[in-house]
Formats: sequence, structure tokens, C-alpha cells
Amino acid sequence: MSWQFAIARSELRAEGVTGVDIGGVPVALYRLGDEVFATHGICTHALAFLADGYVEDGKIECPLHQGLFDIRTGAALCAPLTEPVRTYAVKIEGDSVYVDLDGAAADVASEAALNSVVPAPSVKRAVIAGAGQASAAAIRALREAGFIGSIDLVGAETHLPYERPPLSKGVLLGTTQHEACARLRPADLTALGVTAHLQTTVVSIDVANRLVALSNGETLAYDELLIATGGRARALDIPGADLPGVMSLRTYEESLALGEALRLAKKVAIVGGGFIGLELASAAVELGCSIVVLEREPELMSRVMPAPLGRAFRSLAETHGVEVRVSTSVEAISQSDGRLSVRTNHGTISADLVVMAVGLEPETALAVQAGCDVQNGVVVDAAGRTSVANIWAAGDCALHHAEVRGRRIRLESWHNAEQQGAAAGRAIAGAAEAGEQAALPWFWTDQFGLNIQVLGIPTSGDAVARTGEDAAKGTIYRTFEPATRRLTGLVAFSLPPAIRVGRAELASGVPFDPALVDAVILSQDENSQEEMMNSLIKMPAASGQAAAEKTYHWPAAGLTRVPDWVYTDESIYKREVEKIFHGHSWNYVALEDEVRNPGDFIRSNVGPTPVVVARAEDGSINVFENRCSHRAAEFCRDLRGSAKEFVCPYHQWSYDLKGNLAGVPFRRGVNGAGGMPKDFKTSEHGLKRLNVTTHRGVVFASYCDDMEQLTDYLGPEVLAEFEATFDGRKPRVLGHYRHSLPGNWKLYHENLKDPYHATLLHTFLVTFGLLVAGNKSLMLADASGRHGVMASAKSDTTNLAADTKREMRAYKEGMSLSDPRFMKFVDEFNSPWSVTMITVWPNLIVQREMNTLGIRQIVPTGPNEFIMKWTMFGFEDDDEEMTRHRLRQGNLMGPAGFLGLEDNEAIKFVQDGMISVPDGEHVIELDPGNDGTSDTLISEAAIRGMYRYWREVMEL
Amino acid sequence: MSLALEIRPHPTDDRDAQIERLLLRAEVDDFNAAYAAALDAQRLVDWSEMFTEDASYVVLSRENHDSGLPVGLIYCEGRPMIFDRAFALEKTAMFAPRYLRHIVSNTQVLGVEPDGAIRARANYVVLQVLFDRPDATLHQVGVYHDVFRREPDGLRLAKRHCVYDNLLVPNALCLPV
Repeated sequence: MSWQFAIARSELRAEGVTGVDIGGVPVALYRLGDEVFATHGICTHALAFLADGYVEDGKIECPLHQGLFDIRTGAALCAPLTEPVRTYAVKIEGDSVYVDLDGAAADVASEAALNSVVPAPSVKRAVIAGAGQASAAAIRALREAGFIGSIDLVGAETHLPYERPPLSKGVLLGTTQHEACARLRPADLTALGVTAHLQTTVVSIDVANRLVALSNGETLAYDELLIATGGRARALDIPGADLPGVMSLRTYEESLALGEALRLAKKVAIVGGGFIGLELASAAVELGCSIVVLEREPELMSRVMPAPLGRAFRSLAETHGVEVRVSTSVEAISQSDGRLSVRTNHGTISADLVVMAVGLEPETALAVQAGCDVQNGVVVDAAGRTSVANIWAAGDCALHHAEVRGRRIRLESWHNAEQQGAAAGRAIAGAAEAGEQAALPWFWTDQFGLNIQVLGIPTSGDAVARTGEDAAKGTIYRTFEPATRRLTGLVAFSLPPAIRVGRAELASGVPFDPALVDAVILSQDENSQEEMMNSLIKMPAASGQAAAEKTYHWPAAGLTRVPDWVYTDESIYKREVEKIFHGHSWNYVALEDEVRNPGDFIRSNVGPTPVVVARAEDGSINVFENRCSHRAAEFCRDLRGSAKEFVCPYHQWSYDLKGNLAGVPFRRGVNGAGGMPKDFKTSEHGLKRLNVTTHRGVVFASYCDDMEQLTDYLGPEVLAEFEATFDGRKPRVLGHYRHSLPGNWKLYHENLKDPYHATLLHTFLVTFGLLVAGNKSLMLADASGRHGVMASAKSDTTNLAADTKREMRAYKEGMSLSDPRFMKFVDEFNSPWSVTMITVWPNLIVQREMNTLGIRQIVPTGPNEFIMKWTMFGFEDDDEEMTRHRLRQGNLMGPAGFLGLEDNEAIKFVQDGMISVPDGEHVIELDPGNDGTSDTLISEAAIRGMYRYWREVMEL
Repeated sequence: MSLALEIRPHPTDDRDAQIERLLLRAEVDDFNAAYAAALDAQRLVDWSEMFTEDASYVVLSRENHDSGLPVGLIYCEGRPMIFDRAFALEKTAMFAPRYLRHIVSNTQVLGVEPDGAIRARANYVVLQVLFDRPDATLHQVGVYHDVFRREPDGLRLAKRHCVYDNLLVPNALCLPV
């Protein structure tokens, strides 16, 4: 044991997680009530700090993919986790918390057990009938609660307890192995002191003598008996149900066999359209089968879900090619020529394979024999007590302890098995019982590429409200009692954070208001039209085309969805050029330094439109279109230079440095012949000139003649950040990068209004400690929503020791830079931020990444591509070392920058996705209820703010 | 024997001097072939070891180079920074998988400094293949401006400034040139 000081106890977040660094090892400390626990600080699944995670019910939820670890044991509790996280022993002396990096938490428990004075050795004997997940949960809870008697586990299968959800998912597909499903491993038997009797069942209970008889002839005495016998797949009592090729699913072996059969089958009939039936259908589709689902009721899942939700599940299945027949009951199955015929009330279907998925028959015979109260499940209280003393029940064979709208039901789920098993374990061990605040029922189903989570207990009579598109990723359905408007459940389609929010919603008891969540109430009747939230948007077709109008629908969900056409549609792009780049906006065109002297010019762009920026003899800066007013030639071809005038090479029309037409060759013809009309006025044929303004050495232009001042255009907050970077020193250009980017130009704005991606995409930032999710940060949006500033502080530079520690915490162990010079931050700005990225609508980004400074100018070239021109700069008074420092730090940014190249790739991937799978929409949900400034990195509020503005300007 | 400072063909060169010149160019060619092979195989740490401890490695546009502007897409002072580039790209960078082919040609040895440093240049072309596109695209075309130094185990680059002609970089430069 080597105890190392970790933190003062008072610094630990109450009922939460706190990250510390102990000798270079990131450690997460948890305070649960009066106890403190420690685990390794990094998730075993991906690079994420558990200290940024969420603590609930003794579990830590990883911030990245919502994997859950048991804080006390380190056990990985759900997908995607497969590896437990290391636990460490913790001791508390006074206000100091010590951690032993060599000792696991369990060591402490055993040590404590050895050292403490054991109160009178207990001779209690626990027997557990059934070896499923509830049994495993009970065993762990028993030992955690200090139960030191014997535990005998009796199970019919060859396996120790394992999880069943993967059986209809990964195991079937061959992607999940048995090891990954295990809930109790052989090593746990020793560690937890369990005697296992596998391939054995309890055949009878002698309640009077507290004995159980086993199928192998043995007898076990018990003081406490837990019945966790689960259930079996329900069979239909119809002819042919036992034919070969008619299968069902309950065990691991059945899943393997079914997977094999599905690989051989072409046509598969699934009898029963509940969760298991649909998961099987989803897996079978993935394995290339053609599927028909036969459901006896008029809608899928009608026993457990209101009809509109059943309809949503059906439409999801149907979109993936599954044929669903409702109101169809199977009457008989027969076999001829190796094929099966399924006779239904609506005709006969032939199939290679028939899978019965008609529910679960609880295994209650034992409880009945023992005299327990059984009503379609063993009746238990919240602690798992049956009506017979010293007999307990948990899991699929037991009823939920409370009535749900007047009915006792079974909850056949992973979560319920865990909850009921653990509750019974704790109660048997004599620990305090959890009160009525027990977590809401929750389960998930994976179907057709979506992870659908269900919270609460919806019933078939409930009303349903939908936020989002029908059966689409990111959509939330809420169920509620129509009379009281009390929420009963929440179903989230691939949107796990909604479940956390949903817990609060369901617990609050506040009557449900669909308007608050942009929801539409779904009709119970399929054929009636839904209430429409959103009117259709009509736009004239591009000129010259047929008079047909193209219709654009913004999703009913509002700003939390952005449809693909915003990024890919040619007409939308043209409208953007007109309404945005050529509309009411100040567009960046140059740094004054680039046109330092009279005659200096550069080529630039306003939106896609090429312009020339030139300084005239009078010192004024002028911006005009690079298009000859005679025959449209883009006359200025040099990127930069110095000139006295501009001459179009085609016909030698000449313009002065302000864009006025100066000379037209042969204007009066030759010898009185030819030439321009007499009334031709050069003053009427100058180049198209733009409105120009400058601020702190930065030049902007606008097609709009009544623009407000730039300072007003930026607004006070963005102006302050602009002036923090352009702080009065004279900017000096250090060079340019230019690159094309095959993505829509707005994606670049969004990338810089999306602080969420920073630590996720840019592993570099986290690996080398530049930014971690906990750094001080701000995502500022101006009042209009069009501009933004993404700001973060590297960490406290005044406290070097703390700084080093902070960085170490972020290191991926064993990784550091050989030459850390370029990470240095020279604090040259009067600003609390070490990094600010200012997005000035519509075409400018001002980058201040520590000391590397740059302008990025967006030049859109169509909906699917833009050009980015970077102008890297320093200041006039920089010495050579400062210039070199800026250049070295420049390795972070630009098209070859450690961060820059990833942004470019990610944006390309986004456009690729929209082109390859068109007509979808983006989910912009983070930080709900906000569409402005946010002080968390985990927010997309600024993106929504930008689209609020965009829709106004575009009149869409 | 000492090499002539002026290495260009000269009417009065004797045969030995001509052979020395050819051998030196062949050595530089060999170096460049090994350099290209390391990058094509994306053996970036091996690549980083082809530089001297104080090497300058910069990839910059012809636009900046011709204007005397120092900004580079990649700007490394010294082998540790070059190694960091290799290491960070291998360990942290996210980009679509790709194959690259570096083709180096038109090698010229421009001269040998009194301290033995060899000034050279060569043209290069980098072709890039993305896995979901049929075509190899011309990702970069330019000139290496080099200074080699002889170290015990052979030539190393004390300077390689890659000056590229195609100013508009296609999307991103994910791997060194």
C-alpha cells in the first residue's frame, strides 16, 4: 500500500465527480454520501475524462458515449463499455483524501473485512434459484451490503449470469461474443464467495423446513431464498409450432443458432411485433433476409405503447424494407419441400424460417408451489419480498412492485433486472431499503441503426406528442395521460441526453405543454392529418426555368433541425449571394497593410464576386468589381501589385484607382467612322464600386449603400473582442494560405460556433493539454445571432504549478512534445482569453490562437464548395523572435495545421454525407432552450442563433 | 581531393571532377528516393530522422516565397519540431485515409559550401489517391530548396523548403511533402 494525497475532502464535488492528477495518473474521485471512491480518470472505451461525466445512482456516465461504470466496483454496466475501469483504494484522514494507485477498491473492502471486528459470524445461507442478470445483481448487492453468509446459485443453463439484450442484437449478428455479455465471471465466484450449481434447477421448495430440492438430487438448506427464474419464450398453441425451422429466442445458444439460421434463410416470418420481434427484424435485414412481421393486434406494440408510437416503430421498420402485417394472427404452420407455410387469417405466407417473438412466459411454477402470491408474475414489494416469509423474487418472473394505472405489470428489461435484483440483495443482507424514489423504468432497443430509449411506462391509452420528424434520429416522443396531461413516458430516437432531461420532466409532475418542446400531438387515428406547425416555404424557381415553384420545408422541430437543402441547394445558394453577400452586410476584403501605398492593389472577393482593393493617390481605399464594364473581362489578373491605373487587356479600356472609366480606345472612331454613340458618357460606365469602411487596419466592403457603421454592425461584445485582437498595433502581413474546401460555406461558421467539437475532433488539444472540456470558455453570440466569438482560456497562467498540473491531467499518458516552444502563450493581449475565434458575418474569421494571428476570408463558389484565403499577420513592433514564435505556432492552423486540417476534413465529410445520403437534416440540439451566448463548450446554441438570423435574412 | 565550389559543368573540368559531381548528384538522388519512400509509406518518424538536429523544414506557397513572406503551411525549426509533426500526425490527427506518391526529379546540385554543406534543388510532385475516388489527383507540385550536410551515417537535410506552385491547396495537406 502506498497512500498518496489526492485532494482535500472539502474540494470534492458533493454527490459528483472530481478529477485529480496523482503522479501523472488521471484519477476520478467520487463523493457518494459520506463515502469517497476512486477510479482511473479515463474511460476504457475512448479518450474521455470521467471527471467530465455525470454521476447518478452510484454510477458514472462517461461524457462521450454515455457508457456507465459502477463507481464502487468499476464494472462496465452497459454498451459501449466492455472493460471495467480500474478502481483504487481510498482512505480519508481528517480533511485529506488519500488514494492508493496500487490497490483496488476491493482490496480495501477485504482489508476492512479482515481488520474489523466481525459481529458474530453469520450462518445465514442464501440460495438463488435462477442464474440470470437479476441474480448477478442480487449477489453483488448482497456482498456490497456486507452479507457474509454462503450464497448458492442454481441455474439451468451452462453459463453463469449474462445479459440478454445483446442476444437479439450483437450476438445474433456475430459482433458480440459471450464474454462481453457476462454479468458474473468465473473469477467473480471466488471473489464474491458464490457456489454455482449450473445445468441444475430447483425443483421444489420445502417452506416449512427451508429446504430446496435440486434437479440433481441434492438438497440445499436456505435462510433466504431468491426466486429469479426469469421466463421462457412464449409458444403459440397452434399446429406446426414445433416444426424444425420454427425458432424462438431466450438463451445465448438459441441466439447463436438463430443467427446461423438467419444467414441461411432468404425469407423470414417473424410472429409478433413487439420489441424483440422488431430487433430480430432489424438484425435479419442486416443479414440480408427479406422479412415479414405478423402482428395479431391492429398496431405494433399495442400492448405496451399507444398506437401513434406503434405506428412510428412500424414506419421505421417499413422504411427499412420490412413488410409489416397487422391484425394478422397465425393459425398454423406446415412444411413442404423444405419450406414453411404460415397460415394466417389473411392468407398464407411461405418462409424459410419462422421466428416466434410473442413474448415471455414467466417461470413462476416454483413460486406457486411455495405458496407465493402469483398473478402473471410473482407479487413482490419494493424490496423483492413475496407473500411467503424468507422468499424473495426479482427480474422477469416478478411483477413491478407498484401498480401502474391500476394494473400490476412485469417490466421485462435489463434495467428492471438490475434494479429488482439489487434491491432484493440489499434487503436480504439487511441493508436499508431504497425508498419510493427508485429510478424510473428505462430500457433501450436497437433497431434499424437507431438506439431508441424508453423512459417511464407508457400505456396504450396515452396521448403522444412528437418533437422532430416521424421516426427519425433525434426525435422525441412524449406520452401523457390525456385527461391530466401528466407525462407517463418519453421515447428518444438516438438521443440519449433526452433521457436525462426526461427524468426531470417526468419527476416534476408539471402538466405537459407541447408548445414548450415544439411538439405536435399525434392523432390516434392513422389516417387523419397531423396538425402542421410549419407552413410551406415557396420560392420562385431560378429565372429562365419553368414556372414551377420549388418548395422548401423547414423542419417542424424548428431551429434544432437544419435541413440539408440549406447546404446543398443551388437556388438557396444564389439567394444567399443576393440577400447576404450582396445584401445588408460588411464583407472583409483586405488588411490595410496589403495596400500600404498609393497604387497598391490586391485581388479579393465579396462573396463569390471578384473585386479589386486599391489605394488611390488621395490615400483612400477603393473596392470595385473586377469585371470590365465593356465585355465583362476579369481584367485584373495579378494577386497583388502596384499600378497607376487598370487597363483591361482585351480592348484597352482603362480605369483609375477608384474604378472610374478613364479611357475608351477609338471612342470617336477612326476618320469619323465607327466609335461610340455621341451621347456615350464615361462617367456612366465606371466599374461597379462598393461602399468601403476600415477599422483598426481591417478593410470591409458592402454592396449596400446605407450600411450602419461597422462598430454598430459588430455590436458591443463582438467589437470588444475584435479590438482585443486588433489592439491598435499596426498589423503586418506574414503571408497567406489558400485552400479549396468541398463543403458549404456556412459549415465553416458553424464549426466556429460549435465549441462541442473542439475537444472531440481535435485530439491534439486534449492530448497536449491545450484545451479540456473543463477549461474556462465562452461561446458568445451577438444579439442578432450572425456574429460569434468562441473563446477559451488555456488555464491560469499566473500559477505555473497549477498550470503544469492541469496540462498533465490532460495528457494521454506517455505523450508529450519534444519541442514544446510552440505551445507557449505570450500574454500580449488585454483579454482574459488565450484563444478567440471571431466569426464576423458573412465572410470573416479572425483567429487569435494564442499568438498565431490570422484572417480567414470565405469565398463561396457554389453550394458545395468554397475557397478560404488566410492572411496570417503579426504586428509592426514584433521582434524577430516574436515573428518566429507566431510562425511556429502557425503549425496549429491552416490547411496543414494540426487543428486546421481536421476541421477541413470534417467539413468535407459533412458535405460528402449530405451528397451521398441526401434530403436529411442535421440535429442541433445541445444546450436546449438557448440560442445565444453560452458558457459551456457543450452547446450548439450559437448555431441555432445563426440560423434564426439566416432565416430572417433569407425570408425562409 | 576537394570538390570544386562551382559545380556546374566547366570546360576545364578534368574527368575526376566530373565523376565526383555525378556521384554527388547520385547520392542526393538516392537520398530523395529514400525520402519519398518514407513519406509514401507514411513512415513519418523515419522521415523525421532524415533531418539534422538544427534543420529548417518549411512548406510554403510560391506566392509567399516570391514576396519574401515567411508563412508556411508547415513551419518547423529543428528536428524536435519535425519529430513532433510526425508524432502528432500519427497519434492524434483525424483525416480520411489516403495513399500518396512523391515523385522527385530534376535534381541539381548547386554548389558545395566551404563547410561541406551541399546546396541542391529538385522538382517534386505529390499525387494523392483517396480510397473512394478513381483518380490520383495532383496534390502538390513544387520545388525543394535544399541544404544537405554529411553526417556519419550519410546525408541529412539541414534545410528543405518546399515551395509549391499550386497556391490553392486542395482541402488539406495532411501529410508532409
